[in-house]
Amino acid sequence: MKMIYKLALCLGVAAMLSGCERPPIETVQTGYRGTGMEQIYNPRTLVKQAPLNQAPIAAEAASPDGPKANQVYQNVKVLGDLSVGQFNRQMAAITQWVAPDQGCAYCHNVQNFADDGKYTKVVARRMIQMTQKVNQDWKPHVAETGVTCYTCHRGNNIPTQVWAAPKDRKYANSLLGDLAGQNMATKEAGLTSLPSDPFTPYLMGAQPIRVNSTTAMTGVGANANRASTKQAEHTYSLMVHMSESLGVNCSYCHNTRNFQSWEESRPQRVTAWYGIRMAREINNDYMTPLTSTFPPHRLGPKGDVLKVNCTTCHQGAFKPLYGAAMAKDYPELQVSAEQ
Amino acid sequence: MAEYQNLFTSVQPVGPLHHGIDLPRGDDKRTGEPFLVHLLGRIGNAQIGPVYLGSLGVASLIFGIAAFNIIGFNMLASVDWNPIQLIRQLFWLALEPPPPAYGLNFPPLEQGGWWLIVGFMLTTSILLWWVRTYRRARQLGLGTHVAWAFAAAIWLYLVCGFFRPIMMGSWSEAVPFGIFPHLDWVSAISLRYGNLFYNPFHALSIVFLYGSVLLFAMHGATILAVGRYGGEREIEQIVDRGTASERAGLFWRWTMGFNASMESIHRWAWWFAVLCPLVGGVGILLTGTVVDNWYLWSVKHHVVPAYPLGSPVVVDPAILGVKP
Amino acid sequence: MSMLSFERKYRVRGGTIFGGDLFDFWVGPFYVGFFGITTIFFALMGTMMILWGAAMGPTWNVWQISIAPPDISYGLRFAPMMEGGLWQLITVCAIGAFVSWALREVEIARKLGMGLHVPVAFGMAILAYVSLQVIRPVLMGAWGHAFPYGIYSHLDWVSNTAYQYLHFHYNPWHMIAVTLFFAATLALSMHGGLVLSATNPGKGQVVKSPEHEDTFFRDLIGYSVGTLGIHRLGLFLALSGVWFGIVCIVISGPFWTGAWPEWWSWWLNMPIWRT
Repeated sequence: MKMIYKLALCLGVAAMLSGCERPPIETVQTGYRGTGMEQIYNPRTLVKQAPLNQAPIAAEAASPDGPKANQVYQNVKVLGDLSVGQFNRQMAAITQWVAPDQGCAYCHNVQNFADDGKYTKVVARRMIQMTQKVNQDWKPHVAETGVTCYTCHRGNNIPTQVWAAPKDRKYANSLLGDLAGQNMATKEAGLTSLPSDPFTPYLMGAQPIRVNSTTAMTGVGANANRASTKQAEHTYSLMVHMSESLGVNCSYCHNTRNFQSWEESRPQRVTAWYGIRMAREINNDYMTPLTSTFPPHRLGPKGDVLKVNCTTCHQGAFKPLYGAAMAKDYPELQVSAEQ
Repeated sequence: MAEYQNLFTSVQPVGPLHHGIDLPRGDDKRTGEPFLVHLLGRIGNAQIGPVYLGSLGVASLIFGIAAFNIIGFNMLASVDWNPIQLIRQLFWLALEPPPPAYGLNFPPLEQGGWWLIVGFMLTTSILLWWVRTYRRARQLGLGTHVAWAFAAAIWLYLVCGFFRPIMMGSWSEAVPFGIFPHLDWVSAISLRYGNLFYNPFHALSIVFLYGSVLLFAMHGATILAVGRYGGEREIEQIVDRGTASERAGLFWRWTMGFNASMESIHRWAWWFAVLCPLVGGVGILLTGTVVDNWYLWSVKHHVVPAYPLGSPVVVDPAILGVKP
Repeated sequence: MSMLSFERKYRVRGGTIFGGDLFDFWVGPFYVGFFGITTIFFALMGTMMILWGAAMGPTWNVWQISIAPPDISYGLRFAPMMEGGLWQLITVCAIGAFVSWALREVEIARKLGMGLHVPVAFGMAILAYVSLQVIRPVLMGAWGHAFPYGIYSHLDWVSNTAYQYLHFHYNPWHMIAVTLFFAATLALSMHGGLVLSATNPGKGQVVKSPEHEDTFFRDLIGYSVGTLGIHRLGLFLALSGVWFGIVCIVISGPFWTGAWPEWWSWWLNMPIWRT
């Protein structure tokens, strides 16, 4: 074979194989033997991911003695019951978690810390309430591990994994080329051709996710299951997102021979069920009402607020930060004043 | 290996090219001057052409190329007319059927209207081509077995894109045109209807698919193995059984206790290959129209194996209510 | 005896690999040979173990019987009989029986003065079985990764194994294998149809010639691969379909642990056109 063809062949093969990994790999069995329910991990990939899931070390707990923060400081609407020492410790922690480079000035007017002029302070106040709500009322999802600002922010002003309504393509109003919200290679769809926005209907809206019938034969009239094959693609897209967010596969929660059966599913599926509802509450009760608070450059391309999905907290780990219990060092973040 | 294995033709005798059996009156003349491709000749015949371009063939091509172009231009439009992005995203792109809301009505062009037009054009093209396969056989005095095999494939195509969507009352149930998107459809229909592995017609269709692959491996290998006795001259061997057929038959008789004849193996072949789309089409047609969950159907018919469940048994949280 | 009309002259000695004349005889239509003995041994052993496993199991319903491999925690060790050890022994018997069958086909082919294409082709199928039940589990470190022996239970394994990669259809080698499988079936229907159409041309017609066969396909699509070529093509499509099937599953796990759609990122992110 001519040298140029040999070279082209080698380059082609190298390009194709460059995506591949190698043994040994690690596996965890999640079902009865022989069913094929397993999680598969590449230890070399895990080694790379480990530093991204380290929880920062908490400062020593401050003394609860002394006057309360809302007696000493002005305009303290949340965390007011903490002592001044505890309050300042919490503020220092938040700064480390959300704005380590900008420091206190990211949220505060340093001439007047009580001033609400910066939008970041207004947002942060609401986010503290959100954190407290999650930790208190969503224990079926976050258990006793709980969350802190770091769980999403990880030292960034904006969490790296958020979503907003996707931008329309340039010729969106043409007679040709409507892709019906799918059939593009997007990160959101996990590089499939499945719908690229499973978040609006399921993590903001409360569209039904279940598509399977509970009867073998097709129902008639009022008993008919009217979910379409297309709707199954939307559910599938959400499930791909959930799997990728947690770095797991479908058999982590399901026995795929019968997806709908809770009896044949694993307990993790129940945790995920609450997680979906928790994400809806966060997006509807906390994020969306803040839309007008954010400046335009902090909104999505269609002017909607940036919202949470599973990746926002999990960021590729089956539990955020591999289950590191950060919240226990900040009991003030675990109690909510809201209903 | 020193012995010739009958896999590649080492010496290609080149003689006058064959312009085809004479066609009866009423047919057109054939198109194109035949030519030889040496590399092809190492595996099969070296001759390419001539081809018969009848009115049926031309009409089929027109409809087919039109359908192809409509799909292509919609894909190009969907990447904002950027040809580089067309190539980059080609496997992901699609021409989608209408969304479920339109039922069987004609939707706006950009929301499935083009898909419907392409569907009818492609179907016309395929049906015209079917008539062509039938006619070419008849004009040459051949049986129409190839056409009827093609009909089985057309059956499956029409089930997926026409009969089942009509019975379901929604064009959205049909398959999108696109490489990855049509694979998403395959997954989605299995997800929606309770795991198609538990559809017995699906299982039978796979039996015939794998069976066809098995049979062609067996038949292909057998004929190559008796090539030294002229085994590939199958018509001759059928009407006048020679040592090739005898050895081929005895190989299988001694191996598995029974055998086919040189003719009947082609009947096994035809039926296995035809039953794959035929039975598969039945399985798809029943899905969603008669059976809504194949796993539960299989439970009803006592074929589902049981595994030990986890403990404690997981319960549907929706029964308990949302608020934890 | 169950001999065909022309069979007697072909029943000669010779072609054996092992054992010379000792097992060179027929039982009814079946040729025995040394590997016929080993086939019977492994097949009977394996079948009896399957029956024993079924007897120890919860059901005799043929659709529900399942003999499962060991838990992954046993790694590549021998497991207790009721905890997957039976499955391991059945697998050994299966491989023994399949290889014996292939070697018996070699003996039969040699005796009939035929090429060895059939046992070689069967070897590809054996390779597929061994890849799934031995090679891939060894690469992944445990027998528990193999599929169970049960009609519907092995399909449950297929479903879960595929969903380990979220959307197995995006595995490029799986795509190639599927394409080759469907192409082989298409080619088989065309070949079967063509030969039958020439030899069964309908009322009032005479049997046709290979020139008619060639003319039909040249008229139809401009090319006819011919009587010898179609058998090479069919064998090639079938064997390469199985080959890419082997490749696609051996890669899944040992050489790729993520979702298969994600594999395509190398294509999407090429510097010439990444967005």
